[in-house]
Amino acid sequence: MTDGNARIWHASADLVARYADGSLPEPDAWSLEKHLESCAGCAGRVSRAVRGTAAGEALTQVREAVLARAPEPLPVRRAGAPGALSRPARLLWAAGPAVRGAWLPAVLVVAAAAMALGHGGGFPGARALLLAVAPVVPVAGVALSYGPHADPLHEITAATPAGGLRLVLIRTAAVLAVSLPLLTLTGLLLPASGAPAAAAWLLPGLALTLGTLALASFVGCRAAAGITAGGWLGTVLLPVSAAPVGEATARLADRLAGCLDGAATQGAWAAAAVLSAVLLAARRPAYDRPARR
Amino acid sequence: MSSLRVTGLSVRHRKTLALDSVDLALGTGVHGLLGPNGAGKTSLIRVLATVARPSGGRVEILGQDSADRRGRSAIRRRLGYLPQEFGYYPGFTVREFVAYVAWLKEVPAAGVPAAVERAVARVGLADRIDARIRTLSGGMVRRVGIAQAIVNDPGVLLLDEPTAGLDPEQRVEFRELLRELGARATVVVSTHLVEDVAAACTEVALLDAGRIAYRGTPEALTALGTASDGPGDHPIERGYTAALRAHRGPGAGAREAVR
Repeated sequence: MTDGNARIWHASADLVARYADGSLPEPDAWSLEKHLESCAGCAGRVSRAVRGTAAGEALTQVREAVLARAPEPLPVRRAGAPGALSRPARLLWAAGPAVRGAWLPAVLVVAAAAMALGHGGGFPGARALLLAVAPVVPVAGVALSYGPHADPLHEITAATPAGGLRLVLIRTAAVLAVSLPLLTLTGLLLPASGAPAAAAWLLPGLALTLGTLALASFVGCRAAAGITAGGWLGTVLLPVSAAPVGEATARLADRLAGCLDGAATQGAWAAAAVLSAVLLAARRPAYDRPARR
Repeated sequence: MSSLRVTGLSVRHRKTLALDSVDLALGTGVHGLLGPNGAGKTSLIRVLATVARPSGGRVEILGQDSADRRGRSAIRRRLGYLPQEFGYYPGFTVREFVAYVAWLKEVPAAGVPAAVERAVARVGLADRIDARIRTLSGGMVRRVGIAQAIVNDPGVLLLDEPTAGLDPEQRVEFRELLRELGARATVVVSTHLVEDVAAACTEVALLDAGRIAYRGTPEALTALGTASDGPGDHPIERGYTAALRAHRGPGAGAREAVR
């Protein structure tokens, strides 16, 4: 036998033959078997040699007997069956439960009410009001699509490998994909009347949503959404509620300008969004850990 | 070789101890989990399903530690779980719903359609596979729950009160399915229907107040009932009450309510 320590060696024809007929001493056989684990060429030659022996014949018989006993695999229906969907379609379908229930109608109502106020009612503060409410909409969507309080399937998803952060992110993406364009477009169609630009809420909306997800890893989705949405609405609306009725619109526009306008403010929102994303990534294990209950 | 091993498992709900250092090792077969209401059956199943965190102890399933993150993912891929309160999306069809759970369990996409049809056929719902779940009866919904649990061919299958809502004929069929599943997987069935255990289980564990009160075969439990004069209409029911009384010790009989 060749030197077992050599880096490269291959089994000789004699070695293979002696292995197959069982006359090879045990240490040499072990050494050969170790080599076969990493060398496909020798493995093939040894396997062919062994197949010709009595052991090979026995193995063939066992294999045939097992195959004969095994049930026929059921015919697979390929065309038209859901599950054979393309990847994007599957993702959309996976996100489906996110935009079910009361949330989607609520978003449509917010958009429709803003339009009615702004155009039908001639209310000048319609865009300001929409901008004040908009960042809370995706946050509510997240709270209503994930977690033991919102998702009837949660007990089952919690026991699956994909039911953690991945599922939350897919559903959040669905919520954002509906609310961001819809509410921004609605804002664009409304008269500005001193309110910030229609797209000014996008970064705050994103930051609040990601902040909710990061916070949810500590306190759960429902409480986290309450904190971020309550925090935003409190900051924007509380000072306004103290103002006299006639000035409320102007005060709200001022307040929103303070929270949304300017490169520095928007930069701060972007930074908050990035920080939340980093925190969320770090807190990822919390999403697939069993609950303390 | 046990596919499911629990050592010193404790679960605490606020001040009450739902499970009190339970040790259990289960292998392939159908294991009935019996016990009075509040004995800790659901707490045990939820911990085994990696849904609830124990306050103490160790859970190993299919050779993986469920406290370890990677181990838990590996377990979840090979796990089937039907919760006591089975929640679902009423607007989904049976096919969509079971496929959705298959996706969550990371069943390879190419195998999903066949796996879904096989699971739905096994619970006898093949003719209703494209019906919306909201149009199904309670017993059928329960069977959808069983189908979603078995869609990934689980190595460990946990069923919490699976026969609730099934009519007698469906229960007979379900026991047949249990026996079939128990040939290859470790199946844990929590139930308070003692007849189900007698008919379908290879082993019984009786829980009382968070502790294992009795372990044995259904035959042994029946024999215990035949030997005792405890209450019950069926030998295995008498065995159940006798085992509970023996566990609670003398003098505790008065506290025990006959179910």
